[in-house]
Amino acid sequence: MEFDSHAARVLDTAAHHGAVYSDVRFERTRSERVEVRNGDVSGLADERSDGYGIRALVDGAWGFAASNGFDDSALDAAAARAVAIARAGAAIARYRIGEAPTDAYTDTFATPVLRDPRDVPIGERIALLLDAEKLLHAAPTITVGRAWIDLWRTEKFFFSSSGSRIAQTIVQSGSGMSALAVGNEDAQMRMWPGDRGLYQSGGWEIIEAAHLREHAQQIGEEADALLRAPQCPSGILDIVLGGSQVSLQIHESCGHAAELDRVMGWEANFSGTSFLSPSELGTLKYGSDLVTIEIDNTLERGIATAGYDDEGTKSVRADVIRNGMLAGFETSRDTARTIGRPSNACVRAQSWQHVPMIRMCNLNLLPGTTPFDGLFEDIKHGVYMEANRSWSIDDRRLNFQFGCQIGYEIVNGKRGRLLKNPTYGGVTPQFWNSCDAIGDAAAWFAWGTPNCGKGEPMQTGRTTQAAAPARFRNVNVGVGYDA
Amino acid sequence: MTPEERMDVAERVLARARGDAIEVTVHATRQALTRFTHEAVNQNVDETNVSVRVRSIVDGRSGIAATNAFDEAALDAVAGRARELATFAPREAIEPTLAGPASVAAPPGAYVAATAHASPDRRAAVADAIFEHARANDLWSSGFVTTASQGVTIATSRGARMNYDGTDAGANVKMNGSDATGFAERYARDVAALDGDLLGARAARKAVASRAPLAVEPGEWTVILEPAAFGELLRYLTMHFSAESYGEGSSFLSGKLGTPVLGTNVTIRDDYAHPLNPGMPFDFEGVPTQRLALVDGGIAENIVTDTAWAKRLKRPNTGHALPAPSVLGPQSNATVVDPGPKSVETLIAQTKRGLLITRLWYVRIVDQRTALLTGMTRDGTFLIEDGVVTRGVRNMRFNESIVDALATCELAAVQERTGGYSYSLVTPAVKLERFRFASAAPY
Repeated sequence: MEFDSHAARVLDTAAHHGAVYSDVRFERTRSERVEVRNGDVSGLADERSDGYGIRALVDGAWGFAASNGFDDSALDAAAARAVAIARAGAAIARYRIGEAPTDAYTDTFATPVLRDPRDVPIGERIALLLDAEKLLHAAPTITVGRAWIDLWRTEKFFFSSSGSRIAQTIVQSGSGMSALAVGNEDAQMRMWPGDRGLYQSGGWEIIEAAHLREHAQQIGEEADALLRAPQCPSGILDIVLGGSQVSLQIHESCGHAAELDRVMGWEANFSGTSFLSPSELGTLKYGSDLVTIEIDNTLERGIATAGYDDEGTKSVRADVIRNGMLAGFETSRDTARTIGRPSNACVRAQSWQHVPMIRMCNLNLLPGTTPFDGLFEDIKHGVYMEANRSWSIDDRRLNFQFGCQIGYEIVNGKRGRLLKNPTYGGVTPQFWNSCDAIGDAAAWFAWGTPNCGKGEPMQTGRTTQAAAPARFRNVNVGVGYDA
Repeated sequence: MTPEERMDVAERVLARARGDAIEVTVHATRQALTRFTHEAVNQNVDETNVSVRVRSIVDGRSGIAATNAFDEAALDAVAGRARELATFAPREAIEPTLAGPASVAAPPGAYVAATAHASPDRRAAVADAIFEHARANDLWSSGFVTTASQGVTIATSRGARMNYDGTDAGANVKMNGSDATGFAERYARDVAALDGDLLGARAARKAVASRAPLAVEPGEWTVILEPAAFGELLRYLTMHFSAESYGEGSSFLSGKLGTPVLGTNVTIRDDYAHPLNPGMPFDFEGVPTQRLALVDGGIAENIVTDTAWAKRLKRPNTGHALPAPSVLGPQSNATVVDPGPKSVETLIAQTKRGLLITRLWYVRIVDQRTALLTGMTRDGTFLIEDGVVTRGVRNMRFNESIVDALATCELAAVQERTGGYSYSLVTPAVKLERFRFASAAPY
């Protein structure tokens, strides 16, 4: 396998300096971006970055060092540095965090790709965006149109002192567009698809699936119309959330809450902790019986889909919420051990330069049985909201307030007039327990987020929350605009 | 990588320009960070990288390519790819141009060798001093100690040759009890400024004082925001001073330059040379960064620009470009709020009933044009009664326009540097007469 000799040198050097276990992850990444703004190609970039990150375990403490130097002296220095860092941590630790893994895999994985983005000429990429962006300008109020494509290819080679040798090629693609309408002391933004674009694992077929040209004019028209739309009402109302907003709701109020490192206080000073506790496994009624949320890092087109995580653990499916009950957490090897379970392979690093940590990967709300139109049927007065524009939740993931780009009044089971500035707020378990209908499989979609932040130094993660639209009863609507 | 080595790489790329307009950025970074929880190190890292970014301009069109390899083949490839990309793009409406020669210098003390070469043992010693205060107060600690250095070299075919080397060190700690938390932080160019004993004591004092927090009613309150809390709001205020949001019409400031927008006692600057700021004197286009007032005595005086936005709005180029390509436009990254005349203790003493807030969390824009923000209090929120801090209170969610809030305020006398989710700025504490809370958390 590629990097075999480099890996052997790193692992030997780490052992020589006293590591009881070490692993090294070589990565070769390519990031391409095309962006169009008001008819100009405002960004056309192609970035490559190669390097490696080494984890070393000494006396129950981890050290991590990363470098882009590939000669023998750089490899040796990085391995020695990882061990020295681990030793410095062990010297002040009150307890041991790490244990040496003993399992080993020799395997390969590659993202299924229908059309390799490398085969798509730059001119074709630019033409798509210029066409779509032009159509966004559906009214004179549209001051800014943007359209963009992101293409990522990561080749990973993982080696561990326990004997793992894993090669993976991950291909992820995304695109989107936005229209900004500016009126009298007001600005309204619409984006497509969802709230930041369509991001999935796969090749150029993901870009085509966004149908940018086909939806551009409608997005521009909606942004313009929002300037004249009435304000979303305030009060306790029933709501229906579009699929991408349900995805965001899962992400913020379940995905981060169920990260076991956060539960254990490892993120306390920055991202916060969680209202969840391992003692509540199997006893906490997190949501209604309809609510089942599971990790599935094998999901087709899930942006976090991979064969193995960055600790060398094989991808699995695992419950977090089953029929409304708390059933599990997103875990790493060290955190899973504290609750007597195996890791469910939710450890990722942003790049070779970053230390692997628990990340929300593919975490999905399973579809229900209600057709989309059926979600509205018995609502007398409510609001349909879609496409997030504002999101905030407390540092234990309980009190949240979200806003959407666009809303529609629901009257007597029918979707009615356009509403601007729709917002809602609540408390996580009460909110999920108020869910009484989830859209069926026809409306279920793998919504990907390319820029989830966590950790110090801060890392950006790519995560999918597949979801269908869903209905929630007696929700506090119009928060923020109600005073 | 030394400044000379970085410039050598840049010159080797420039030599491949073949007469085209070309900009080369060589960016060397090293960040070491020791993260701890429950008095053990849960993450301990040392990350280094050097990248070369090439922007090629061909017939009014731009392409960007980057690599972190430096052999001749890699440099050939990156220069060639940037040129190739440029030839695909249509001509830009605003003719791209490159920075020319200029003389700038980093402020004294921008680079501290002791910070750049700090050992993991030194970071561990700061953390260990913090741990002592957790043990002594029946608390557990969570936080980090970091030391970092960066070198930025920018060279253009128009003759710009810029070099900057700087260091940064920081530590923060959250002390956690069963029903209370407390927070402290410190950032400086010199690692010697990190005093774990002081930080641990301060955070522990707050956590102890906020035990058994009282639930108070949301609604309108007078608040005193300590620098860490105020910084979270300021970050969202300064975004409005970007030429991009100003020009696009999404800023509350759009069309209001030269008019009163905040209280007359509010002056906000962008000043890389302030002794508490990291101190990079040029932007990522190699243009010298101007030190300027964004707001002077409540009057909106300036927005920050880069080359394209300066041309588009026919304003001076203030040298605030981010690394390209960026969707954010030019940004103020060295924000400084001028101090007021009173100590924070005096501001508290002059408050009949209010809240003293240590830190805010997850601040987000609710309404762009009105600068309406939401977020939560965290890590030490206290009740002020008759000029005295009496006890801790439970956390609450606010919804408030930062512009409205700063219409009637008082600024404290001592500035501190505060940092958070991808920002760093310098500010004193502030007293806001009117701040709206919408709901409460159960802790």
